[in-house]
Amino acid sequence: MGILRLSHVDITCPDLELAAAYYTQVMGLDISERTDDRIFLKCWDERDHHCLAIRHDTRVGMDRFAFKVEHADDLAHFESRIEAAGHPVQRISRGEEIGQGESIRFELTSGHEMELVADIEKVGGRLPLVNPPPMVDGLVGIAPPRIDHLLVHAEEVPAVARFFTEILNFRMTEQLLDGGGHQMIAFLERSAKPHDIAFVQGPNGALHHFSFWLDDWDHVRRAADILAYNGVTIDIGPTRHGITRGNTIYFFDPMGTRNEVFTGGYRPDPDFPTITWTDDEAGRAIFYYEGVVNERFATVHT
Amino acid sequence: MSDGILRLSHAEVRVPDLELALAYYVEVVGLVETDRTADKAYLKGWDEHQHHSLILTDSPTYGLNGLGFKVMELTELDRLAARVEESGIEVTRHQPGELDLASGHIARFAAPSGHVVDLECGQEQVGNGLSLINPPPRPDDLRGIHPPRIDHIFLLCEDVDGTTSFFRDVLEFRLTEQIMADDGHQLATFLERTHSPHDIAFLTGPNGGFHHVAYWVDEWSDLKHAADTCAHHGVDIDAGPTRHGATRGCGLYFFDPAGNRNEVYTGGYWFDPDDEPTTWTESEMGRAVFCYRGQVDQRFMTVHS
Repeated sequence: MGILRLSHVDITCPDLELAAAYYTQVMGLDISERTDDRIFLKCWDERDHHCLAIRHDTRVGMDRFAFKVEHADDLAHFESRIEAAGHPVQRISRGEEIGQGESIRFELTSGHEMELVADIEKVGGRLPLVNPPPMVDGLVGIAPPRIDHLLVHAEEVPAVARFFTEILNFRMTEQLLDGGGHQMIAFLERSAKPHDIAFVQGPNGALHHFSFWLDDWDHVRRAADILAYNGVTIDIGPTRHGITRGNTIYFFDPMGTRNEVFTGGYRPDPDFPTITWTDDEAGRAIFYYEGVVNERFATVHT
Repeated sequence: MSDGILRLSHAEVRVPDLELALAYYVEVVGLVETDRTADKAYLKGWDEHQHHSLILTDSPTYGLNGLGFKVMELTELDRLAARVEESGIEVTRHQPGELDLASGHIARFAAPSGHVVDLECGQEQVGNGLSLINPPPRPDDLRGIHPPRIDHIFLLCEDVDGTTSFFRDVLEFRLTEQIMADDGHQLATFLERTHSPHDIAFLTGPNGGFHHVAYWVDEWSDLKHAADTCAHHGVDIDAGPTRHGATRGCGLYFFDPAGNRNEVYTGGYWFDPDDEPTTWTESEMGRAVFCYRGQVDQRFMTVHS
């Protein structure tokens, strides 16, 4: 019961062809469906229709992000909880949206549109279900197996973090408090990992990055090689986070949306005690090796 | 808050020489000893918050005494215990501390496979040794292989089909993979509660049989370190570092001084509840077990405890 994991992120960009080239050739995703103004992409090991949707628009940004719930009746459960918390909820029926079934949408106090989706069209992974090899031959680019998490901004982190823990039943794994005890950063999970979503203080509605999983630190190094070879702007890394303990590299797609590939972390049980980072250790919390946050990482978002 | 069984919590393993076994599990495997009685030692992976994920019990023989799954809510423990009873299996209930040091509320029963299974709620938490304020990513006093946590257990039983049905229908596990004999029965099955390829797996063999318990490591290079560590200490390596076809994971198998098989494991994939299981045919069983060699050696298939 409840929310299972991050399902997909819907972003916008002014050049769909360029986006398609980058996300298939460099990131190594597969296009599962395409319309006049949208592209739907998935990782090779994902069986659901898409984890990334890109819509043509004059500006770079994010339409919404979606989490997958475990059962169809979770939608009604959350619909009433979210409405009771004062957020109007919009129902999306099967057939209204490409690749997915019954869904609900609502706006967060952080200004983002969030979606909960119950059933997503199964298009299958790249491996057969009988006697599969453990890998796909001929993958292009970084080719992560699946999406992992996203990080977004909020003017008031405590309010939206509370909504996630109290209404959506997320658990807070880590937080960063400023000198006055105000929550600047909150990491939240549903899938027994350090985060499925994180909020960092900043302008409402903004996307900092979305992130794909890799199995191994060596794959992060290989991602760096591929990015450098293709002339992609690397923001920072390969490096390690204090928060989440994960290993990472950040980079920008050609339109300026920040991407990450990530590995490591830990497996928090629901009774995991929240870890707190203090203001004076903020640098190490974000980049454990560098100990400081670069200006670009702290200020650039879409 | 959390429904049903959360994950594999612990295994209780018999060893005829507790001192020797403890030295091995602490120095070579790199587990943390959390408690000790005259005839038992309690161990955990360094990153586990629970009191124990492995209990060593002094005994004339080697093998598995039982295994435990973690359940978050007492009401869920009651619900699952009732489901087991409705299936015709007797369940005994135990208070915290009654069966073991630091144990929680336990519902204990014998699975159709002949294994003693505990459902446990509220085992004592001892923390992972790292501060909850500004923690470093790892402690600096780790020894041996030092896996962060337990991952899965692999057992033998005569009737894999029947046992698998029990775990799916009664305990609400999901089937991720199966190896099918040419006559249509299940030779091996992989079952999960944590969206990983397996929390428990069954292979055809004698009821109550114990094939191995596996601890998680984060990546392939950790398996190389584990193999170096085993070789350095003269530990008998059974197979690996290698890759499995089933689960797609990478593993290293080795034996503790008593003859219980251990594994360290990494990789695999995420499994959604609405995903279809993968099937292996009997002719491809070798590759299902050891993807690189394509065949299963005699020792791997026949040695168990």
